[in-house]
Amino acid sequence: MSANPSNYSPDSIDLDRLHAAVKREKQDLQPGREPVPMLVIFLAMVVAVIAGGQLGLMTGEWNFETSNPFLAASSPDPRPGAGEGAASVDPFQTAMKKGASGYAVCGGCHQGNGMGIPGQFPPLAGSEWVVGGTERLIRVVQHGLVGAITVKGQSYNTPGGMQAFGAAMSATDLANVLTYIRNSWGNEATMITKEMVEKVRTEEKRVQQWTEAELAPFADKNVPGDIPAGPGATKPAA
Amino acid sequence: MQINSPSSEIETQADNVRRATIDKSVKGPVLFLFLNAAFWLMASTILGVLAAVKLFSPSFLGDCAFITFGRLQPAHLNALVYGWGIQAGLGVMLWIMARRSGQELRNGRSILYVAGVFWNIAVTLGLVSILTGGNTSMQWLEMPSWIWPILLLSFLVYAWPMVIMFGKAFRPEGFMVSTWYILGACFWFPWIYLTANVCLNCLPSLGALAAGINAWFVHGLILLFFAPVAIGSAYYFIPKITGKPIASADLSKLGFWSLAFLAGWTGMQVYMGGPLPAWMPSIGAFTGTLLLLPVGVVGLNHHLTTLGKHDMVATSPTLRFTFLGSLFFPVTGVILALLSNYSTGVTLQFTHASYGFQIVSVYGFFSMCVFGAIYYIVPRLTGCEWLSVRLIRNHFWFSTYGIAAIVVTSLVAGIQQGGDLNNPEMWDQDFMQLSMNARPYMIARALAWGLITWSNIWFLIHLVLMVAGLGRRSSAPTLLHSSHDDTPHAAHA
Repeated sequence: MSANPSNYSPDSIDLDRLHAAVKREKQDLQPGREPVPMLVIFLAMVVAVIAGGQLGLMTGEWNFETSNPFLAASSPDPRPGAGEGAASVDPFQTAMKKGASGYAVCGGCHQGNGMGIPGQFPPLAGSEWVVGGTERLIRVVQHGLVGAITVKGQSYNTPGGMQAFGAAMSATDLANVLTYIRNSWGNEATMITKEMVEKVRTEEKRVQQWTEAELAPFADKNVPGDIPAGPGATKPAA
Repeated sequence: MQINSPSSEIETQADNVRRATIDKSVKGPVLFLFLNAAFWLMASTILGVLAAVKLFSPSFLGDCAFITFGRLQPAHLNALVYGWGIQAGLGVMLWIMARRSGQELRNGRSILYVAGVFWNIAVTLGLVSILTGGNTSMQWLEMPSWIWPILLLSFLVYAWPMVIMFGKAFRPEGFMVSTWYILGACFWFPWIYLTANVCLNCLPSLGALAAGINAWFVHGLILLFFAPVAIGSAYYFIPKITGKPIASADLSKLGFWSLAFLAGWTGMQVYMGGPLPAWMPSIGAFTGTLLLLPVGVVGLNHHLTTLGKHDMVATSPTLRFTFLGSLFFPVTGVILALLSNYSTGVTLQFTHASYGFQIVSVYGFFSMCVFGAIYYIVPRLTGCEWLSVRLIRNHFWFSTYGIAAIVVTSLVAGIQQGGDLNNPEMWDQDFMQLSMNARPYMIARALAWGLITWSNIWFLIHLVLMVAGLGRRSSAPTLLHSSHDDTPHAAHA
């Protein structure tokens, strides 16, 4: 209210200078007095009910210690490496768990049950190639295998053989998968550790796939190396 | 302040002179902000095109680190938020606050220029350091940590005269709806910006909670700065152009206070199921959904105010942009509710949908309202009319289609991406493959940013010509429809 309209008289120069845009503007008006429609109140209640559903159980009883509302507030953090259980993480169980997901790559040919497909892909379950010497097993997966082979008395000759899968995997992943296949479907054999895989990798840098004859010298050899103590070392190193 | 119709010719003239004086007093700072903001908008949309292209063709323009997605995307969003959004928002806030309060900007114009220059220098340095690898990796706070005090101080320099103007104004009950929102934005931005920066840059590392605070900041900036400025602008310009009063004072109050109470609680729902105390995401999900209330109430109020005047949406550039912007507000609210509540959020979290939310709120909703305001304000400050109807139409349609395309494709891509990642049947698909499936949507996003770039080139040229005083010398406003040329349209602009 800087200018009092009643005794203010703009001179003609002021008015001429005004840009037309200012002159054609409409008045500012006092807002209307429409009441809030009933529908708005009803819909607001619907929204409030849906929104309220986001509270309740989901708040974890407003406890700062609870990040997962579906565990009782008193349960400890379930992740390995947390809480009192930290010391008892079992390297063998970890390798089996991670190996199981890594096995997705192998399962395409050797199948989820490790039985392979008769006449096409050799089985892993009960295979002497799998539970035998670790040296040969690591080499097969690391560098691939081609040509006719005999597994559990059956002969296989898959065209193209098996690729060198290990080349694209980390030593840890490869070790986990090998530990998994050596201890699944009734197989029982020692763990294969990351260090063992690395040792084979540094010793052997070939790019062609192996043949059965080339691998014969390694059939019963085990890669030397420590197997972690504790519950994971289910079998002593042979 | 003229609330009732002026009783005489002389009063109308006195009121005209008074409004012209107010315009003149804020002319410099407001045009400075608009022009710089328009340049940043241009930069941001070009960066948006590049960032989107990088998503489906990572080796585009060579492999140098300077233009990798990880640097382009934050540069694009920071230019949009700080270069364009807040800067243009301040211009609109200052003009509306001065006009609505009936107060001239009496002194301190030079310090406003200084603050504006500092703001732009700080944003420039911030973006350069993002592009050269100084990204702090905190969303919307990627600029190095020494930038924020400069931005905060510059903002306060602008907020101060606005608060003073509001304080001095004659404030009849229920009359100041648009300036409530603007006053709110003057206080809310410093609050969230200071809190987020102190927590994230000054306190020793907060771990997972820092991510939650960061998400809270992004939602706060959208809901407590961009939304209030855009709503305030719409509450000012819709009645101004239609000549109808705001439909309901009760709805305005309800909308304002529910937004003010709820908005500050949202954000952490982004990390639902994450390593935060469960009640934090839960409260975010609760308020994020409950925000449908202010969104619906404000939308209804604007709808009732525009009702019966829809022919003006076709003719007045200001009303057309503001109308579309206000239409995008409910869209923003619904997308926020979808992202926030547990049943749909579990699919949409961490997907392209969150980018869609940021763009619909900052561009579709806020920027469209601000464009409308700019089309109204600039002729009054420069004393000339917009040059070309065709340029305005170009700007409107290319922006509209561009934004709509970005929002729709981001949402659909988000639903697909999140659905696939959560689907137990997809256990044997690797993450890369699922990301690759979103490729067509990313191509669409690049094209959409291309459309928006095209629209902004013309907006920028148009604005530069206006500010240079090269607009039309005419007393007739630039209106969008030529089919009714015989009817007088003078009142519509």
